[in-house]
Amino acid sequence: MDFNAAEEEEFGFSRNYFLAKETGSSGKKSARKLSDINVVDEQELREASANIEPKHQNDVADLINSYKSLYPKWVFDLRCGFGLLMYGFGSKKSLIEDFASTALAEHSIVVINGYLQSINIKQVIIALAEILWEQLKLNRKVSSRGLPKVQQPFSSRSMDDLLAFLDGPEMDEKDSFICVVVNNIDGPGLRDTETQQYLARLASCSYIRVVASIDHVNAPLLWDKKMVHAQFNWYWYHVPTFAPYKVEGLFLPLILAHGSSKQSAKTALIVLQSLTPNAQSVFRILAEYQLSHPDDEGMAIDDLYSISRERFLVSSQDCLYIPLTKEGLEKLLSEMS
Amino acid sequence: MAPSLNDDSPPSTIDEAFTENNLQPFFVLQKGPSRKSDRKSSGTGRTRRFDLSSASPKNSANIEDEKEDENMNLRMEAFEFVWSKIESTIKDVLRVINTNVFSEIQTWVHQSFDTIRSLGTPEFPEATQSFPIITDANSKRLFTGLVLTKNMEFVDDLLTFEELGKHLKYQGCHVANLSSLDFTAKNGVGGCLRSLLRQFLMSSLDPADISILASWYREENCNNPVVVIIDDIERCCGSVLSDFILMLSEWVIKIPVILIMGVATTLDAPRNILPSNALRCLCPFEFTLGTPAERMDAVVEAVLVKPCSGFIIGHKIACTQHFYTEPLSVILLEFASEEDNLVFEIERHGLSPEVIWKHVFEFPSCQRVKLNKLTSESLAHAFSELKRLQNQWRAVVLCLYVTGKGEKVRLLDLFCEAIDPESYNQGEFDTNMKAEKDPVLSSSQIKGHVICKAVRLVRDLSTAQLGKLLKMWENLTVGIPEINGKVKELLSLLNVEDGKSSKKDLTVTPRRHTSRIQLNIEKDSKSLSDKAANLIECMVRDYMHPTECIPFHEIFCFKDVDKLQLALIGDPRRGIQVDLLEFQKLLCCRCCTSSSNALLPSMHDTSIMYKLAQEHGDLINLHDWYQSFKSIVLCPNSKRKPRQSPLPKKRKGIKEAESQSEASIQARFCRAVTELQITGLLRMPSKRRPDFAQRVAFGL
Repeated sequence: MDFNAAEEEEFGFSRNYFLAKETGSSGKKSARKLSDINVVDEQELREASANIEPKHQNDVADLINSYKSLYPKWVFDLRCGFGLLMYGFGSKKSLIEDFASTALAEHSIVVINGYLQSINIKQVIIALAEILWEQLKLNRKVSSRGLPKVQQPFSSRSMDDLLAFLDGPEMDEKDSFICVVVNNIDGPGLRDTETQQYLARLASCSYIRVVASIDHVNAPLLWDKKMVHAQFNWYWYHVPTFAPYKVEGLFLPLILAHGSSKQSAKTALIVLQSLTPNAQSVFRILAEYQLSHPDDEGMAIDDLYSISRERFLVSSQDCLYIPLTKEGLEKLLSEMS
Repeated sequence: MAPSLNDDSPPSTIDEAFTENNLQPFFVLQKGPSRKSDRKSSGTGRTRRFDLSSASPKNSANIEDEKEDENMNLRMEAFEFVWSKIESTIKDVLRVINTNVFSEIQTWVHQSFDTIRSLGTPEFPEATQSFPIITDANSKRLFTGLVLTKNMEFVDDLLTFEELGKHLKYQGCHVANLSSLDFTAKNGVGGCLRSLLRQFLMSSLDPADISILASWYREENCNNPVVVIIDDIERCCGSVLSDFILMLSEWVIKIPVILIMGVATTLDAPRNILPSNALRCLCPFEFTLGTPAERMDAVVEAVLVKPCSGFIIGHKIACTQHFYTEPLSVILLEFASEEDNLVFEIERHGLSPEVIWKHVFEFPSCQRVKLNKLTSESLAHAFSELKRLQNQWRAVVLCLYVTGKGEKVRLLDLFCEAIDPESYNQGEFDTNMKAEKDPVLSSSQIKGHVICKAVRLVRDLSTAQLGKLLKMWENLTVGIPEINGKVKELLSLLNVEDGKSSKKDLTVTPRRHTSRIQLNIEKDSKSLSDKAANLIECMVRDYMHPTECIPFHEIFCFKDVDKLQLALIGDPRRGIQVDLLEFQKLLCCRCCTSSSNALLPSMHDTSIMYKLAQEHGDLINLHDWYQSFKSIVLCPNSKRKPRQSPLPKKRKGIKEAESQSEASIQARFCRAVTELQITGLLRMPSKRRPDFAQRVAFGL
């Protein structure tokens, strides 16, 4: 019986797909253009979208509040060594940050905003190692044998060393973990395999517990079985909030403003802010050059590379391209040059 | 949306203080004072604010709270105790299963090492050079053990290879464990070298060079083999792996490396991923691990059937859920550790007697048996009774298992049948037994009855086999005199029949008349195997009480499989779509529920949009989509226009601010599209089709 039901479901799934394909391509496709809509001025659209009247505000608040009764259960799960994974429609950012700051008041909490475009996972891990170091010093747990007195600064250590430090064996007190809150662990800044592997290794460290949220329906495809069962140790919770995706959607273009006009400088500024300090400096060089040579065609990429390299901003030409090809800034650049 | 951060439009829900943090890739939300003394008080104090126990109704009295807290901590302790016991049991079982293969591998490693050594050790000047020695093709052979895991789930074998590494290390080998992650195209062969250096030298030197490894080995006296274990070659990048193999084979005289590789599929795997020049370097040997089914049975036996932790399910998530929801689960701590004399002290568990009694009376299993008065003693008695019944159950299941072992009766199936309370309550087993005897009903009609199969097997045994089986039963039922006596009786009968009558056995037989079992001892008409079959039938009928039929089993049993499933594999694809399609159920709002499926303007924008999208094919014309969205949100003629419709602007009059409302509808449309894009249910228009968005999910 079960088997039949599963088969039926699968069959239904593919049938739906082909039906949809058929209706899509069977002549009746509407040919009307987006431009037929009398789209308002982009500035106005942005203003309006900032002022959208929230619907069901009270119901949403009640729903989010109802999850508070789960907080102790979540703490229990974390103490048992699980990672919490929240899914369901609606922004879960404020929910999990509220959970972390109220129910885990005696733990250090680091938040990673996965919805941003670029996140340097190594910097996160360095920060975590520094916090743990302080914590251990406070607890006088680091005896003379623990670590050498003149320790190498964390920022110059390799990932493996950092992770090994976070996975330290000195866990007399089982509860002294650092909580890592990952908003949108499936977000654009964390979506690549390497970062996910590092996150998985981080999650399996003895001093770390992860509380993460996903929004994308296909997010589980990011992980293989080892990551899910042996490293992340996910405990799934379905917590739809229906809260608007405000920050999460900040960097996505408005569909009606799409193509109609240039990206606003503000959006570019926000993207710029989310870059690493080195990448920001690369853009500074570019901007300074542009301002001092207003009549020039633009800066040659080789010049940019050599200056950046002199200032220890990039180590290879490839590194230079990474910030330059960021969405948004690409356009900004093309306008500048 | 970007200007929402601006001063002209203060964001309503996002906390001002956090807006700066929201744009940081990461930030420290708080630094916890991780002091022992602080934590004890503040930690518990924090959690106390919330309702700690969902199972017991609680008044807000402070003392109660504190007791709850204490109980919670004890439950945590009990969890840790039980889980660590289960976990170590599983590890032990798996280690024992692999013992033979491991020692086989170990012997082979040492033999291979001797062979390499026999090719000659490098002279001192040669050994100190930082390039390899190559004499002939023979000396480039790399001994390779291919370990067939017979299991596509490579996760199950991670532990096996870890244990293998430990085992070989214990035997004096230098061991490094590499995983497929070390063999990525991105890092190249340097990645695996670095990993080797880190594991052997305990340091990470940046210019990873194999000559460093060679000089390290020379310093290590050259007396022990170097073993490199790769747990799953099918997942490695082929070119990197072959580079690695070629490199090692050149150095094999200086560093006698012996490779061990896990293979999940077939022996063809290396041939499929490696080029011929790398294959030529390998000198393969084959080892085979136990099948997953064997391992599963061993784990079931050790964890679920034999007394391991007193707890009835072996999954960690089930454990946490159980200990979190069940206040009395703390008892497990004593139940598992103590022997027969269970002294039950309620006060020790941080619960007031009233709470306990109330809770206990709510157990369905207790309502069935109608316990009218409960005291600590009666509770303790009930627990020891439970333990006794469980022991009986266990003995019978194991007897059945040893009976059917040779005939592919799997313990897992047997366990599932034996633990099912429904078939027990309905006496299903009895009827099946009768059907079994009835030649008209063929066995195929009684589907999946492993117990019956095992019983049937007994009837077909020869006397010698029966003797062996009875001996095993005798051993398994030690401690349960009721069954043990019967088995011994039968054994002695067997001995008599064999003409090897031994009086010793007869005298040992207890003269107890367990009245319930009527062994029809009609010596002439039935053969002994029939009697044995009858005996096991009686054992199944009278002694195999499934745990769920025993009072108080709720303390030891976790049954909520649905909850477990939800926690284990969330289904975001379905979940998120259902959220959108049935949002009114979650938000519990009255304004949006209508008898028909009509879309109402008060509904959540994204939900309206997603429901509208269902009517389109795989491509959605944005213009049409927008128009239908607009007509719904502006729709004044819906049957009962909800007064609290959160569109105050509209109420003022559409004519008044036509353009403004147009802008706001467009903005809402945009936001809904963005939200659908975030959930991955929608793909944005491409350059080729600028007027169409693409649907991604079809059906739940």
